Amino acid sequence: MELIINGKSQELDARTIQDVIEHYGLAGKPVVVEADGVVLKADQWADTEVHPRMPIELVHFVGGG
Amino acid sequence: MRRDVLRIGNYELTSRFFIGTGLFPNPYVQMEAIKASGAQVLTFAIRRINLESTEDDSILQHLQNEPYIYLPNTSGARTADEAVRIARLARASGLSDWIKVEISANERTLLPDPIETLRATEILVKEGFTVLPYISDDPIICKRLEEAGAAAVMPGAAPIGTGLGILNPYNLGLIVEEAQVPIIVDAGLGSVSDVAQAMELGVSGVLMNTPVAKATDPVGMAQAMRMGIEAGRLAYLSGRIDKKRYASASSGFDEYKLK
Repeated sequence: MELIINGKSQELDARTIQDVIEHYGLAGKPVVVEADGVVLKADQWADTEVHPRMPIELVHFVGGG
Repeated sequence: MRRDVLRIGNYELTSRFFIGTGLFPNPYVQMEAIKASGAQVLTFAIRRINLESTEDDSILQHLQNEPYIYLPNTSGARTADEAVRIARLARASGLSDWIKVEISANERTLLPDPIETLRATEILVKEGFTVLPYISDDPIICKRLEEAGAAAVMPGAAPIGTGLGILNPYNLGLIVEEAQVPIIVDAGLGSVSDVAQAMELGVSGVLMNTPVAKATDPVGMAQAMRMGIEAGRLAYLSGRIDKKRYASASSGFDEYKLK
């Protein structure tokens, strides 16, 4: 399915947000997800289904002041 | 001397040094500098994950199991709405409900947009965040942010990363005089003397990143800054002498001078 992840079109075999997380090897890491403009808690990932061209943001903490 | 603590939100801090986590030469030096600083509050930015290489590039891997308070910032935001979005993402990490509102509308100066900062602060306070806005050194906007429910207000000494020191000590002094919440000087400091000056003006703490991270020896500078903060704080509490125009001898006993 085509998903828009971090602003880029990606072709992924995924049914839920959890699948997307696992696809990128991010399971268990301090990642935050926003899908369709809504911030998702980690316990919502497995229940949130993706749809074609769904905008998904995968973000994390980086160094900053 | 009574215990001198800094209360912000639900926390009691014994360190008045908030340290940023950007620009360090490597994670090892960064960790050593953080330890040397004695800081309890660490700042971060929120960014997209690089999907090309997701191998443990998160800064948090080096900080796990350490009792730090995380202060994510909203850097990159140009409007209140963008800052609110970043704040919600930061909180969803489950790591912190503290947020440093940072909204820059000018690429060259990175000076904060006061109108958008106030708007974002109002929204985020209502949503239950512990809000620490980065703002210009204007006494009126600082007061307005306090009234909006900011847990602390963080005026800049000078533009971010310039190391110019305190450009307007008069304003900073007024801000401290008027404030009912802690004032943290954020951005623009360069040296230990800048930091000591800020603390002598009565601010509750300082937030620094570049002056430590880009020093020749970041670990040494972190420790020096810590000592400067402690010295400035103690000096503030101890009360400096008034300035006088002319000399006054320190020996006294004028009538016993040798003639």
